[in-house]
Amino acid sequence: MERLTSSFMSSFFVWAILVLDLVLKASGNQEGDALNALKSNLLDPNNVLQSWDATLVNPCTWLHVTCNSDNSVTRVDLGNADLCGQLVSQLGQLTNLQYLELYSNNLSGKIPEELGNLTNLVSLDLYLNNLTGPIPTTLGNLAKLRFLRLNNNTLTGGIPMSLTNVFSLEVLDLSNNYLEGEIPVNGSFSLFTPISYQNNPGLIPPKNAPSPVSPTPPPASSGLLMPVLPLLLLYADSNFSLSY
Amino acid sequence: MVKSRQIFSPLSSVTFLFLIISDITYGTDTDIFCLKSIKDSLKDPQNYLQSWNFNHKTEGFICSFIGVECWHPDENRVLNLKLSQMTLTGLFPRAIGNCTSLTGLDLSANNLSGIIPENIATLLPFLTSLDLSSNDFSGVIPLSLANCTYINTIKLDQNQLSGQIPQQLSLLQRLKTFTVSNNSLVGPVPNFTNAHVLVNYSNNKGLCGPSLKHCPNN
Repeated sequence: MERLTSSFMSSFFVWAILVLDLVLKASGNQEGDALNALKSNLLDPNNVLQSWDATLVNPCTWLHVTCNSDNSVTRVDLGNADLCGQLVSQLGQLTNLQYLELYSNNLSGKIPEELGNLTNLVSLDLYLNNLTGPIPTTLGNLAKLRFLRLNNNTLTGGIPMSLTNVFSLEVLDLSNNYLEGEIPVNGSFSLFTPISYQNNPGLIPPKNAPSPVSPTPPPASSGLLMPVLPLLLLYADSNFSLSY
Repeated sequence: MVKSRQIFSPLSSVTFLFLIISDITYGTDTDIFCLKSIKDSLKDPQNYLQSWNFNHKTEGFICSFIGVECWHPDENRVLNLKLSQMTLTGLFPRAIGNCTSLTGLDLSANNLSGIIPENIATLLPFLTSLDLSSNDFSGVIPLSLANCTYINTIKLDQNQLSGQIPQQLSLLQRLKTFTVSNNSLVGPVPNFTNAHVLVNYSNNKGLCGPSLKHCPNN
Protein backbone atom coordinates (compact mmCIF):
# COMPACT_ATOMS: atom_id res chain seq x y z
CA MET A 1 0.00 0.00 0.00
CA GLU A 2 2.83 2.33 0.94
CA ARG A 3 4.58 1.61 -2.34
CA LEU A 4 1.47 2.54 -4.30
CA THR A 5 1.15 5.80 -2.39
CA SER A 6 4.81 6.75 -2.87
CA SER A 7 4.75 5.95 -6.62
CA PHE A 8 1.54 7.94 -6.94
CA MET A 9 3.17 10.83 -5.09
CA SER A 10 6.26 10.81 -7.32
CA SER A 11 4.12 10.68 -10.48
CA PHE A 12 2.09 13.59 -9.22
CA PHE A 13 5.32 15.43 -8.41
CA VAL A 14 6.69 14.92 -11.95
CA TRP A 15 3.35 15.92 -13.46
CA ALA A 16 3.31 19.08 -11.34
CA ILE A 17 6.79 20.05 -12.53
CA LEU A 18 5.78 19.52 -16.15
CA VAL A 19 2.69 21.68 -15.74
CA LEU A 20 4.68 24.39 -13.97
CA ASP A 21 7.29 24.27 -16.72
CA LEU A 22 4.58 24.70 -19.36
CA VAL A 23 3.00 27.58 -17.47
CA LEU A 24 6.36 29.30 -17.06
CA LYS A 25 7.18 28.86 -20.74
CA ALA A 26 3.79 30.27 -21.74
CA SER A 27 4.00 33.27 -19.39
CA GLY A 28 7.56 33.96 -20.58
CA ASN A 29 5.93 34.95 -23.87
CA GLN A 30 3.45 37.29 -22.19
CA GLU A 31 5.50 40.31 -23.24
CA GLY A 32 5.53 39.06 -26.82
CA ASP A 33 1.76 38.69 -26.63
CA ALA A 34 1.43 42.24 -25.35
CA LEU A 35 3.51 43.63 -28.20
CA ASN A 36 1.63 41.46 -30.66
CA ALA A 37 -1.61 42.94 -29.38
CA LEU A 38 -0.15 46.36 -30.19
CA LYS A 39 0.87 45.22 -33.66
CA SER A 40 -2.64 43.88 -34.31
CA ASN A 41 -4.03 47.30 -33.46
CA LEU A 42 -1.78 49.21 -35.82
CA LEU A 43 -1.63 49.92 -39.53
CA ASP A 44 2.00 49.64 -40.59
CA PRO A 45 2.45 50.92 -44.16
CA ASN A 46 6.24 50.77 -44.01
CA ASN A 47 6.34 47.24 -42.59
CA VAL A 48 8.49 48.30 -39.64
CA LEU A 49 6.83 45.52 -37.61
CA GLN A 50 7.59 42.82 -40.13
CA SER A 51 10.03 41.08 -37.78
CA TRP A 52 7.42 40.91 -34.99
CA ASP A 53 6.82 37.16 -35.06
CA ALA A 54 4.51 35.99 -32.29
CA THR A 55 5.60 32.37 -32.65
CA LEU A 56 9.08 33.10 -31.27
CA VAL A 57 9.77 32.26 -27.63
CA ASN A 58 10.25 35.93 -26.73
CA PRO A 59 10.21 39.26 -28.56
CA CYS A 60 13.87 40.00 -27.91
CA THR A 61 14.97 39.37 -31.48
CA TRP A 62 12.27 41.63 -32.91
CA LEU A 63 13.47 44.86 -34.51
CA HIS A 64 12.75 48.04 -32.53
CA VAL A 65 12.51 45.96 -29.34
CA THR A 66 15.32 45.85 -26.76
CA CYS A 67 15.53 43.37 -23.87
CA ASN A 68 17.65 43.05 -20.76
CA SER A 69 19.73 40.02 -19.80
CA ASP A 70 16.60 38.32 -18.48
CA ASN A 71 14.93 38.57 -21.89
CA SER A 72 12.46 41.13 -20.61
CA VAL A 73 11.56 44.12 -22.77
CA THR A 74 13.25 47.39 -21.74
CA ARG A 75 12.78 49.55 -24.86
CA VAL A 76 10.28 49.92 -27.68
CA ASP A 77 11.64 52.33 -30.32
CA LEU A 78 9.02 53.11 -32.96
CA GLY A 79 9.42 56.85 -33.43
CA ASN A 80 8.89 58.31 -36.94
CA ALA A 81 7.45 55.06 -38.32
CA ASP A 82 4.26 56.23 -40.07
CA LEU A 83 2.19 53.99 -37.80
CA CYS A 84 -1.58 54.49 -37.56
CA GLY A 85 -4.00 52.99 -35.09
CA GLN A 86 -4.34 52.92 -31.34
CA LEU A 87 -2.35 51.97 -28.28
CA VAL A 88 -3.44 48.90 -26.27
CA SER A 89 -3.84 48.32 -22.54
CA GLN A 90 -1.53 45.30 -22.79
CA LEU A 91 1.43 47.71 -22.96
CA GLY A 92 1.01 47.93 -19.19
CA GLN A 93 2.26 44.35 -18.91
CA LEU A 94 5.80 45.25 -19.97
CA THR A 95 6.85 45.73 -16.37
CA ASN A 96 10.56 46.24 -17.10
CA LEU A 97 9.93 48.79 -19.85
CA GLN A 98 12.14 51.88 -19.49
CA TYR A 99 11.71 53.66 -22.83
CA LEU A 100 8.43 53.85 -24.75
CA GLU A 101 9.20 55.79 -27.91
CA LEU A 102 6.15 56.13 -30.13
CA TYR A 103 6.57 59.76 -31.17
CA SER A 104 5.90 61.21 -34.60
CA ASN A 105 3.34 58.73 -35.92
CA ASN A 106 -0.39 58.92 -36.68
CA LEU A 107 -1.55 57.22 -33.50
CA SER A 108 -5.09 57.99 -32.40
CA GLY A 109 -7.32 57.03 -29.50
CA LYS A 110 -6.48 57.40 -25.85
CA ILE A 111 -3.41 56.95 -23.69
CA PRO A 112 -4.12 53.67 -21.82
CA GLU A 113 -4.42 54.04 -18.04
CA GLU A 114 -2.45 50.80 -17.76
CA LEU A 115 0.73 52.67 -18.69
CA GLY A 116 0.65 53.65 -15.01
CA ASN A 117 1.78 50.09 -14.25
CA LEU A 118 5.13 50.63 -15.95
CA THR A 119 6.94 51.51 -12.75
CA ASN A 120 10.37 51.26 -14.38
CA LEU A 121 9.53 53.74 -17.11
CA VAL A 122 12.12 56.48 -17.59
CA SER A 123 10.85 57.99 -20.87
CA LEU A 124 7.33 58.26 -22.24
CA ASP A 125 7.40 59.89 -25.67
CA LEU A 126 4.03 60.01 -27.38
CA TYR A 127 4.48 63.45 -28.92
CA LEU A 128 3.44 64.40 -32.46
CA ASN A 129 0.48 62.04 -32.85
CA ASN A 130 -3.33 62.41 -32.85
CA LEU A 131 -4.00 61.10 -29.37
CA THR A 132 -7.23 62.18 -27.67
CA GLY A 133 -8.73 62.00 -24.22
CA PRO A 134 -7.10 62.83 -20.91
CA ILE A 135 -3.63 62.37 -19.49
CA PRO A 136 -4.25 59.36 -17.18
CA THR A 137 -3.89 60.13 -13.48
CA THR A 138 -2.13 56.78 -13.17
CA LEU A 139 0.98 58.28 -14.77
CA GLY A 140 1.60 59.70 -11.30
CA ASN A 141 2.71 56.18 -10.32
CA LEU A 142 5.72 56.31 -12.61
CA ALA A 143 8.23 57.09 -9.88
CA LYS A 144 11.26 56.86 -12.17
CA LEU A 145 9.90 58.92 -15.04
CA ARG A 146 12.36 61.54 -16.31
CA PHE A 147 10.95 62.46 -19.71
CA LEU A 148 7.22 63.02 -20.27
CA ARG A 149 6.62 64.43 -23.75
CA LEU A 150 3.00 64.37 -24.87
CA ASN A 151 3.12 67.57 -26.92
CA ASN A 152 1.39 68.04 -30.27
CA ASN A 153 -1.62 65.80 -29.82
CA THR A 154 -5.29 66.61 -29.17
CA LEU A 155 -5.33 65.70 -25.49
CA THR A 156 -8.09 67.20 -23.33
CA GLY A 157 -8.88 67.53 -19.65
CA GLY A 158 -6.62 68.70 -16.87
CA ILE A 159 -3.03 68.10 -15.86
CA PRO A 160 -3.19 65.38 -13.16
CA MET A 161 -1.95 66.64 -9.80
CA SER A 162 -0.51 63.16 -9.23
CA LEU A 163 2.33 64.10 -11.59
CA THR A 164 3.64 66.65 -9.08
CA ASN A 165 4.74 63.68 -6.97
CA VAL A 166 6.98 62.32 -9.71
CA PHE A 167 10.18 63.90 -8.43
CA SER A 168 12.36 62.30 -11.09
CA LEU A 169 10.71 64.40 -13.84
CA GLU A 170 13.25 66.46 -15.73
CA VAL A 171 11.62 67.26 -19.07
CA LEU A 172 7.89 67.95 -19.42
CA ASP A 173 6.34 68.94 -22.72
CA LEU A 174 2.54 69.16 -22.86
CA SER A 175 2.45 71.96 -25.43
CA ASN A 176 0.08 72.05 -28.39
CA ASN A 177 -2.90 70.18 -26.98
CA TYR A 178 -6.35 71.12 -25.70
CA LEU A 179 -5.61 70.78 -22.01
CA GLU A 180 -7.49 72.96 -19.57
CA GLY A 181 -7.63 73.89 -15.93
CA GLU A 182 -4.91 75.07 -13.58
CA ILE A 183 -1.22 74.55 -14.10
CA PRO A 184 0.35 72.94 -11.01
CA VAL A 185 3.42 74.68 -9.59
CA ASN A 186 4.11 72.51 -6.52
CA GLY A 187 6.32 69.48 -6.10
CA SER A 188 8.24 68.54 -9.21
CA PHE A 189 6.28 71.11 -11.24
CA SER A 190 8.27 73.91 -9.66
CA LEU A 191 10.78 73.21 -12.43
CA PHE A 192 8.44 73.78 -15.34
CA THR A 193 7.92 77.02 -17.20
CA PRO A 194 5.32 78.26 -19.71
CA ILE A 195 7.35 76.56 -22.43
CA SER A 196 6.03 73.20 -21.21
CA TYR A 197 2.42 74.31 -21.61
CA GLN A 198 2.40 76.52 -24.74
CA ASN A 199 -0.65 76.49 -27.00
CA ASN A 200 -3.20 74.98 -24.66
CA PRO A 201 -5.77 77.77 -24.76
CA GLY A 202 -7.73 76.39 -21.80
CA LEU A 203 -4.80 76.16 -19.37
CA ILE A 204 -4.84 78.76 -16.60
CA PRO A 205 -1.40 80.16 -15.71
CA PRO A 206 -0.52 80.12 -12.00
CA LYS A 207 -1.32 83.18 -9.87
CA ASN A 208 1.39 85.82 -9.63
CA ALA A 209 2.69 84.76 -13.01
CA PRO A 210 4.18 87.70 -14.87
CA SER A 211 2.59 88.78 -18.15
CA PRO A 212 4.47 86.28 -20.22
CA VAL A 213 7.48 87.46 -22.18
CA SER A 214 6.48 85.85 -25.46
CA PRO A 215 7.67 82.25 -25.31
CA THR A 216 9.11 80.33 -28.26
CA PRO A 217 6.87 80.98 -31.22
CA PRO A 218 4.44 78.20 -32.10
CA PRO A 219 5.62 75.47 -34.47
CA ALA A 220 5.31 75.98 -38.21
CA SER A 221 2.04 74.09 -38.51
CA SER A 222 0.18 76.62 -36.43
CA GLY A 223 1.87 79.79 -37.69
CA LEU A 224 -0.70 82.33 -38.79
CA LEU A 225 1.12 85.41 -40.02
CA MET A 226 3.24 83.72 -42.67
CA PRO A 227 0.44 82.17 -44.74
CA VAL A 228 -1.61 85.40 -44.47
CA LEU A 229 1.00 87.57 -46.17
CA PRO A 230 1.19 85.60 -49.40
CA LEU A 231 -2.60 85.32 -49.44
CA LEU A 232 -2.72 89.11 -49.34
CA LEU A 233 -0.33 89.15 -52.28
CA LEU A 234 -2.51 86.75 -54.22
CA TYR A 235 -5.54 88.89 -53.37
CA ALA A 236 -3.74 91.99 -54.61
CA ASP A 237 -2.78 90.05 -57.71
CA SER A 238 -6.38 89.13 -58.50
CA ASN A 239 -7.53 92.66 -57.75
CA PHE A 240 -4.94 94.07 -60.08
CA SER A 241 -6.02 91.77 -62.86
CA LEU A 242 -9.64 92.82 -62.37
CA SER A 243 -8.86 96.50 -62.59
CA TYR A 244 -7.69 96.35 -66.18
CA MET B 1 -2.06 94.89 -67.81
CA VAL B 2 -1.50 91.33 -68.98
CA LYS B 3 2.27 91.94 -68.59
CA SER B 4 1.93 93.08 -64.97
CA ARG B 5 -0.22 90.08 -64.20
CA GLN B 6 2.46 87.81 -65.57
CA ILE B 7 5.06 89.52 -63.37
CA PHE B 8 2.97 89.32 -60.24
CA SER B 9 1.94 85.68 -60.41
CA PRO B 10 5.41 84.13 -60.26
CA LEU B 11 6.45 86.78 -57.73
CA SER B 12 3.56 85.83 -55.49
CA SER B 13 4.38 82.15 -55.82
CA VAL B 14 8.05 82.69 -54.99
CA THR B 15 7.18 84.91 -52.04
CA PHE B 16 4.60 82.38 -50.88
CA LEU B 17 7.19 79.59 -51.02
CA PHE B 18 9.84 81.71 -49.32
CA LEU B 19 7.52 82.65 -46.48
CA ILE B 20 6.38 79.05 -46.02
CA ILE B 21 9.98 77.86 -45.85
CA SER B 22 11.01 80.58 -43.40
CA ASP B 23 7.95 79.73 -41.32
CA ILE B 24 9.10 76.13 -41.01
CA THR B 25 12.61 77.05 -39.95
CA TYR B 26 11.63 79.89 -37.56
CA GLY B 27 12.38 79.07 -33.94
CA THR B 28 15.09 76.49 -34.51
CA ASP B 29 17.41 78.72 -36.59
CA THR B 30 17.72 81.01 -33.57
CA ASP B 31 19.06 78.15 -31.45
CA ILE B 32 21.69 77.34 -34.07
CA PHE B 33 22.63 81.05 -34.18
CA CYS B 34 22.69 81.05 -30.37
CA LEU B 35 25.22 78.25 -30.10
CA LYS B 36 27.36 79.49 -32.99
CA SER B 37 27.54 82.94 -31.40
CA ILE B 38 28.42 81.49 -28.01
CA LYS B 39 31.23 79.46 -29.52
CA ASP B 40 32.53 82.51 -31.41
CA SER B 41 32.43 84.70 -28.32
CA LEU B 42 34.36 82.39 -26.01
CA LYS B 43 38.00 81.32 -25.98
CA ASP B 44 38.20 77.53 -25.80
CA PRO B 45 41.91 76.76 -25.43
CA GLN B 46 41.49 73.03 -24.98
CA ASN B 47 38.95 72.66 -27.76
CA TYR B 48 36.23 71.22 -25.55
CA LEU B 49 33.70 72.53 -28.07
CA GLN B 50 35.18 70.51 -30.90
CA SER B 51 31.91 68.66 -31.42
CA TRP B 52 30.17 72.00 -32.08
CA ASN B 53 30.33 71.62 -35.86
CA PHE B 54 27.96 73.79 -37.86
CA ASN B 55 28.82 72.52 -41.33
CA HIS B 56 26.22 69.79 -41.77
CA LYS B 57 22.89 71.08 -40.55
CA THR B 58 20.46 68.22 -40.10
CA GLU B 59 17.41 67.96 -37.86
CA GLY B 60 18.51 67.96 -34.25
CA PHE B 61 22.22 68.14 -35.10
CA ILE B 62 22.96 70.50 -32.22
CA CYS B 63 21.46 67.95 -29.82
CA SER B 64 24.59 65.82 -30.01
CA PHE B 65 26.90 68.77 -29.17
CA ILE B 66 28.77 68.38 -25.90
CA GLY B 67 27.01 70.24 -23.11
CA VAL B 68 23.75 70.68 -25.07
CA GLU B 69 20.51 69.05 -23.93
CA CYS B 70 17.54 69.47 -26.27
CA TRP B 71 13.82 69.44 -25.62
CA HIS B 72 13.42 66.73 -28.27
CA PRO B 73 16.20 64.66 -29.84
CA ASP B 74 15.35 65.56 -33.43
CA GLU B 75 14.57 69.25 -32.97
CA ASN B 76 17.15 72.04 -32.64
CA ARG B 77 15.75 73.57 -29.47
CA VAL B 78 18.04 73.84 -26.46
CA LEU B 79 16.66 72.93 -23.03
CA ASN B 80 19.86 73.06 -20.95
CA LEU B 81 23.39 74.21 -21.60
CA LYS B 82 26.06 72.67 -19.36
CA LEU B 83 29.58 73.85 -20.09
CA SER B 84 31.23 73.21 -16.74
CA GLN B 85 34.99 72.70 -16.27
CA MET B 86 36.02 73.54 -19.82
CA THR B 87 38.69 76.21 -19.17
CA LEU B 88 36.52 78.65 -21.15
CA THR B 89 37.57 82.30 -21.11
CA GLY B 90 35.66 85.44 -22.00
CA LEU B 91 32.59 87.36 -20.92
CA PHE B 92 29.13 86.03 -20.12
CA PRO B 93 27.86 85.03 -23.60
CA ARG B 94 24.88 87.35 -24.10
CA ALA B 95 24.04 85.61 -27.37
CA ILE B 96 22.51 82.94 -25.16
CA GLY B 97 19.39 85.08 -25.26
CA ASN B 98 18.77 83.56 -28.69
CA CYS B 99 18.24 80.14 -27.13
CA THR B 100 14.65 81.11 -26.42
CA SER B 101 13.64 77.79 -24.84
CA LEU B 102 16.58 77.57 -22.42
CA THR B 103 15.79 76.62 -18.83
CA GLY B 104 19.15 75.49 -17.41
CA LEU B 105 22.53 77.22 -17.64
CA ASP B 106 25.70 75.85 -16.05
CA LEU B 107 28.92 77.71 -16.82
CA SER B 108 30.59 76.75 -13.55
CA ALA B 109 34.32 76.15 -13.11
CA ASN B 110 35.65 78.15 -16.05
CA ASN B 111 37.65 81.37 -16.40
CA LEU B 112 34.76 83.66 -17.36
CA SER B 113 34.97 87.29 -16.28
CA GLY B 114 33.19 90.60 -16.50
CA ILE B 115 29.71 91.26 -15.18
CA ILE B 116 26.61 89.13 -14.97
CA PRO B 117 24.29 90.82 -17.51
CA GLU B 118 22.13 93.53 -15.95
CA ASN B 119 19.21 92.32 -18.09
CA ILE B 120 19.59 88.61 -17.44
CA ALA B 121 15.83 88.09 -17.03
CA THR B 122 15.25 89.57 -20.48
CA LEU B 123 17.89 87.31 -21.98
CA LEU B 124 16.71 84.19 -20.16
CA PRO B 125 13.12 84.63 -18.94
CA PHE B 126 12.52 80.91 -18.42
CA LEU B 127 15.66 80.13 -16.46
CA THR B 128 15.07 77.51 -13.74
CA SER B 129 18.70 76.84 -12.81
CA LEU B 130 21.71 79.17 -12.99
CA ASP B 131 25.19 78.04 -11.97
CA LEU B 132 27.99 80.56 -12.56
CA SER B 133 30.11 79.41 -9.65
CA SER B 134 33.91 79.18 -9.72
CA ASN B 135 34.63 81.83 -12.33
CA ASP B 136 35.98 85.40 -12.20
CA PHE B 137 32.70 87.28 -12.52
CA SER B 138 32.79 90.73 -10.93
CA GLY B 139 30.39 93.56 -10.35
CA VAL B 140 27.01 93.16 -8.67
CA ILE B 141 24.34 90.50 -8.58
CA PRO B 142 21.88 92.12 -10.99
CA LEU B 143 18.45 93.17 -9.75
CA SER B 144 17.10 91.63 -12.95
CA LEU B 145 17.64 88.19 -11.42
CA ALA B 146 14.56 88.90 -9.28
CA ASN B 147 12.51 88.82 -12.50
CA CYS B 148 13.57 85.27 -13.27
CA THR B 149 10.24 84.08 -11.93
CA TYR B 150 10.80 80.38 -12.50
CA ILE B 151 14.26 80.09 -11.07
CA ASN B 152 14.76 77.24 -8.57
CA THR B 153 18.55 77.30 -8.17
CA ILE B 154 21.06 80.17 -8.11
CA LYS B 155 24.71 79.33 -7.55
CA LEU B 156 27.18 82.21 -7.73
CA ASP B 157 29.84 80.93 -5.32
CA GLN B 158 33.55 81.52 -5.81
CA ASN B 159 33.58 84.67 -7.93
CA GLN B 160 34.51 88.32 -7.27
CA LEU B 161 30.99 89.67 -6.91
CA SER B 162 30.63 92.83 -4.87
CA GLY B 163 27.94 95.18 -3.64
CA GLN B 164 24.72 94.14 -1.95
CA ILE B 165 22.47 91.19 -2.68
CA PRO B 166 19.23 92.58 -4.14
CA GLN B 167 16.56 92.23 -1.45
CA GLN B 168 13.99 91.59 -4.17
CA LEU B 169 15.43 88.10 -4.61
CA SER B 170 13.33 87.19 -1.57
CA LEU B 171 10.28 87.52 -3.80
CA LEU B 172 11.30 84.59 -5.99
CA GLN B 173 8.59 82.04 -5.24
CA ARG B 174 10.27 78.96 -6.64
CA LEU B 175 13.77 79.51 -5.28
CA LYS B 176 15.08 76.45 -3.44
CA THR B 177 18.87 77.03 -3.45
CA PHE B 178 20.77 80.32 -3.21
CA THR B 179 24.52 80.07 -2.67
CA VAL B 180 26.93 82.99 -2.97
CA SER B 181 29.85 81.91 -0.77
CA ASN B 182 33.37 83.13 -1.44
CA ASN B 183 32.65 86.54 -2.95
CA SER B 184 33.03 90.12 -1.72
CA LEU B 185 29.36 90.80 -1.03
CA VAL B 186 28.25 93.24 1.67
CA GLY B 187 25.08 94.27 3.42
CA PRO B 188 22.03 92.41 4.66
CA VAL B 189 21.11 89.02 3.25
CA PRO B 190 17.62 88.68 1.69
CA ASN B 191 14.73 87.79 3.96
CA PHE B 192 13.37 84.77 2.12
CA THR B 193 9.66 84.15 2.81
CA ASN B 194 10.18 80.47 2.06
CA ALA B 195 12.14 79.25 5.08
CA HIS B 196 13.28 76.16 3.21
CA VAL B 197 15.65 77.95 0.83
CA LEU B 198 19.08 76.38 1.10
CA VAL B 199 21.54 79.25 1.49
CA ASN B 200 25.29 79.63 1.76
CA TYR B 201 26.74 83.06 2.51
CA SER B 202 30.10 82.00 3.92
CA ASN B 203 33.32 83.88 3.17
CA ASN B 204 31.73 87.21 2.32
CA LYS B 205 33.26 89.55 4.89
CA GLY B 206 30.64 92.26 4.55
CA LEU B 207 27.40 90.23 4.67
CA CYS B 208 25.23 90.55 7.72
CA GLY B 209 21.98 89.08 9.03
CA PRO B 210 20.62 85.96 10.76
CA SER B 211 23.43 83.51 11.67
CA LEU B 212 25.94 86.09 10.40
CA LYS B 213 27.26 89.22 12.07
CA HIS B 214 24.59 91.77 13.10
CA CYS B 215 23.59 94.36 10.54
CA PRO B 216 24.46 97.94 11.59
CA ASN B 217 21.38 100.09 12.36
CA ASN B 218 21.53 102.75 9.62
